[in-house]
Amino acid sequence: MLTCKQFDAFMLDYLEHELPFSDQVSCWLHLKMCRDCPKFVQQYQQTIALGKQAFEDPDGPVPESVPEDLINAAIAHQRRSDSNR
Amino acid sequence: MVIQAAPDNPTLSEPELVECVRAGEDRCYDIFVRQFGAKVLAVAKRYLRSEADAADCFQDTFVAAFDSIDRFEQRSSLSTWIRSITVNQCLMRIRAASRRKEDSIDDLLPQFDSQGKRMAAYEPTHSSDAVVLIDKSQTKALVRGKIDELPDDYRMTLLLRDIDGYTTQETADILGISVNAVKTRLHRARSALKALLEPELEHWT
Repeated sequence: MLTCKQFDAFMLDYLEHELPFSDQVSCWLHLKMCRDCPKFVQQYQQTIALGKQAFEDPDGPVPESVPEDLINAAIAHQRRSDSNR
Repeated sequence: MVIQAAPDNPTLSEPELVECVRAGEDRCYDIFVRQFGAKVLAVAKRYLRSEADAADCFQDTFVAAFDSIDRFEQRSSLSTWIRSITVNQCLMRIRAASRRKEDSIDDLLPQFDSQGKRMAAYEPTHSSDAVVLIDKSQTKALVRGKIDELPDDYRMTLLLRDIDGYTTQETADILGISVNAVKTRLHRARSALKALLEPELEHWT
């Protein structure tokens, strides 16, 4: 059976189903037998979900307003660039 | 304020907008910046730690986009193309600022004994309520703050893969590292973020 350390090295690929079948089974067996790793995996997956949700925008696809001076500066820069050509 | 195309300009399709910008039509610069400005600024703020850097990155992104729009082949959407320019501009800024040695995250990573057994007794401090709690803006800000605490190499990898949804290969290409290095960094970044969040979330469960 894999040790916890060996499982940890496989963990990312295991969760993304990118391991060869035999390694995938070894990881699955480790999770069935180990006391600590299933908890770690659960918290690891929750951490990923928390990260994604931290950047989700509840109000739609445009999460930010842009200061008008920033917009105008970008446009002005391009106009200056055109006039210098 | 919601960014929209200038009201005196009709909505243009992407190919029309590209052609219009390539032709150097003044009004199209305006439409282009207003159409993509909000997303550019959002990405810049996500990757850069200061508002001033995000504003500078905003300018640099549009300069780079206008300079290279002749080479835009429309294999991806304009939105995807300009996001990749923004990410690259952010990376350039981060690399320029990251001359100092990166902080280690070793203390935040799992520890194992000589038999390879996980040493810390991980109690389930993230209850199922934790994911619900993230709806609160305070909690979102806390998680973003913890991500900001990660060293840049790990933070960038986590943002690219987990937040912006780039594939492992795309992340490797953007960062100029191998696929295996991306996987190692991502796993370490997630494990460190988990360790950073544990004491905070414990109070709320």
